[in-house]
Amino acid sequence: MLKASSAAGVAVGLAGCVESLTSGNQEQIGNFPIEGDTATLGFNVPLSGPYGSEGQDELRGYKMAVKHLNNGGGWVDSQFDDLSGDGVAGKQIDWVEADTETDKEKARENARQLIERDNAIMISGGSSSSVAINVQDECQKQKVLFMACLTHSNDTQGKDCVRYGFREMFNAWHTAAALAPVLKKEYGEGQKFYQLYADYTWGQSVEKSMRQFMTDTAGWSQVESIATPLGTTDYSSYLSDAANSDADVLLLDHYGLDGANSVKQAVDAGLKEEMTIVVPLYNRPMAQAAGSAISGVFGTVAWDSAIDNEPSNQFTQAFGNEYNGRVPSGPAQLAYAQTLQYAAAVERAGTFRPPDVIKELEGHSYDNIGMGSETMRKCDHQAQRAIPVVRGLPEDQISEANFYEIVELTSADAVTYGCDEGPAGQCELGPYE
Amino acid sequence: MSIGADVISILLNGFQQGAIYVLLAVGLSLILGTIKFVNFAHGALYIIGAYLGLYVAQQLALSEGYLAEQGVANIGLGGGFVVALLAVTVAVFVVGLLMEHLVARKFYDRPDTDQILVTFGLAIIVQELIRWLFGSTSQPFGQPPWASGPVPIPGVAISEWRLWIIAITAVLVAIVYVLVEFTDFGLVVRAGTEDPEMVSLLGIRLTRPYIVLFGIGAALAGVAGVVGGPLSPINPTAGTDILVPAFVTVVIGGVGSIRGAVLGGLTLGMTQAILIQTGIPEVLFGIAMPSMIAGYNFAQWSQVGIYAIAAIILLWRPEGLLGREVTGS
Repeated sequence: MLKASSAAGVAVGLAGCVESLTSGNQEQIGNFPIEGDTATLGFNVPLSGPYGSEGQDELRGYKMAVKHLNNGGGWVDSQFDDLSGDGVAGKQIDWVEADTETDKEKARENARQLIERDNAIMISGGSSSSVAINVQDECQKQKVLFMACLTHSNDTQGKDCVRYGFREMFNAWHTAAALAPVLKKEYGEGQKFYQLYADYTWGQSVEKSMRQFMTDTAGWSQVESIATPLGTTDYSSYLSDAANSDADVLLLDHYGLDGANSVKQAVDAGLKEEMTIVVPLYNRPMAQAAGSAISGVFGTVAWDSAIDNEPSNQFTQAFGNEYNGRVPSGPAQLAYAQTLQYAAAVERAGTFRPPDVIKELEGHSYDNIGMGSETMRKCDHQAQRAIPVVRGLPEDQISEANFYEIVELTSADAVTYGCDEGPAGQCELGPYE
Repeated sequence: MSIGADVISILLNGFQQGAIYVLLAVGLSLILGTIKFVNFAHGALYIIGAYLGLYVAQQLALSEGYLAEQGVANIGLGGGFVVALLAVTVAVFVVGLLMEHLVARKFYDRPDTDQILVTFGLAIIVQELIRWLFGSTSQPFGQPPWASGPVPIPGVAISEWRLWIIAITAVLVAIVYVLVEFTDFGLVVRAGTEDPEMVSLLGIRLTRPYIVLFGIGAALAGVAGVVGGPLSPINPTAGTDILVPAFVTVVIGGVGSIRGAVLGGLTLGMTQAILIQTGIPEVLFGIAMPSMIAGYNFAQWSQVGIYAIAAIILLWRPEGLLGREVTGS
């Protein structure tokens, strides 16, 4: 009897192994396995709130990515050998969008609905690091992959990192490491700086990293740093205080509409004549909203169409064709790239099963999204990549297509940090399943 | 920097911040106090004013929305700021008349909740129409060339335009105040507020004064959109964002009181400016402050501060600073 049951057990075990080898592991994890022949992606972006303009452009990038995944075109044809242009791993791709309203609680609720109601196999989105951190936490709990789009806080892939989250965008540490030498070269040592920063994880992260690098690398000293609430529309009182602080440089750690507001109001109040203004992170919609105020202002951007290489030019071309000649922003490129990176990892894994896709993404090296050679680091899921340092064009050269020039494309080697230091030192990814 | 310059800076910032609140609140307060109509579409009138003002004064650069899809890259008359101010005043006044005639009037005798629902719906329709037409991208609204640049006071970092906002607000509010307090029109409106039945029995129709008053309230919101536009880039949701501070101003000032709206707006503006620009010094009157609190800045309490001050005022005077106490018979 014992012998018989052992033999039966071995037979069942062998059958299981054979099934696993032929059709893959079909054990339920997150929304895997996918029923039917359509895989749904959930795009959780801010279509309103202070980062609304960025979210709209992200959505354009996502929609174009899905179109190319199903029908070919853009980087699917030219840069991603793993992708066929006829769906992904035998399934057509569908998508569902949700508006985070730039609110972290709404974003988490959206993520829940996208996963539980719409059966999304992957979530992407961001703009606002508190949103990204909240959403990736929900994704980790539900074992659904989160491909972060625009999130720049050190914490996203630092102390709040998760196994199921990956970030292409660089972080505040990288920005500060890239900006400090450029600012030191431009304005010299011994400058005194004053910071106004958005009062949530991203702003706090930028404030801390800028303070660290401007002090240690550039030899500057901080006079004061003041937190401002996210969504502030009138910065005049904050700016008056900054103007009276005896500082030489004003760092405006604001993003989206907040950044456009603060830099415009600073210039209107005449601060540019007394101080140097720096906006550590900005982008195309923000520069457009700020108008001529962005002229001469240093900062970093996620990506820009002015980066002249084959993938960048192809993306700009494809985006323009898709959207009536519109020039894509950095957030749009991130959205497009992250969707394709996920799909390519699924193709390499031969399955949508999250742990297998994660292993394909970890340590993956690539050179196909317009930012040179990159690695998606295994220890913290943070892309190690070049950082574009930009400066606003002179007022008479600003146009609908051009707002800033690329001063330097700081290489990944110059700004990277070890797995046991900086933000990565606080990252514990957790188990695969 | 001297204490004198600090005080001037706080006063000017407080006044200019308060001026925008006042401009928004006066129209809202008049409609709420006299016609007893809760207008949640007040923010929509603000954003119509801002977009129309930008269109008339300068131009909109379009990269998304229906017009951009039709190949329109820029749209605007470039007529200058003064022309825009006049055009918006007239246009939004007419929008107000239409709104009163087609929507509001039918809801005068309905509960507040119905009024809130219909006007909130209207606000969303306007917001989405603007988004559909011009896209979501924030539009830069440049300051008029004759009012750009900082004020020439050392140690005070304020653009000249902000002083103009204080001046424009003062003039407009004074005109409305005179109209309501010292003219026959105002007398009829105030009498209608007290006892509409008696006014009707005297043979005076209240329909016309009410529609005009609604138009004036709307025009003030539109003007606030034009003068407030150059402070920060405008986008379709800007109208919703200003609604809460406007209502807070009305409530703490006293519903229906123009002087109350002015006092309420300035109280909020000044509270915000003081909290942002002050802190605990290292040394106070020659005494070194404990290291735990020395150098502490109150800026992070500025948002909380305006609601805290509102709560304190309402606890002390539930009818608002200059509102009239309502007692049961």
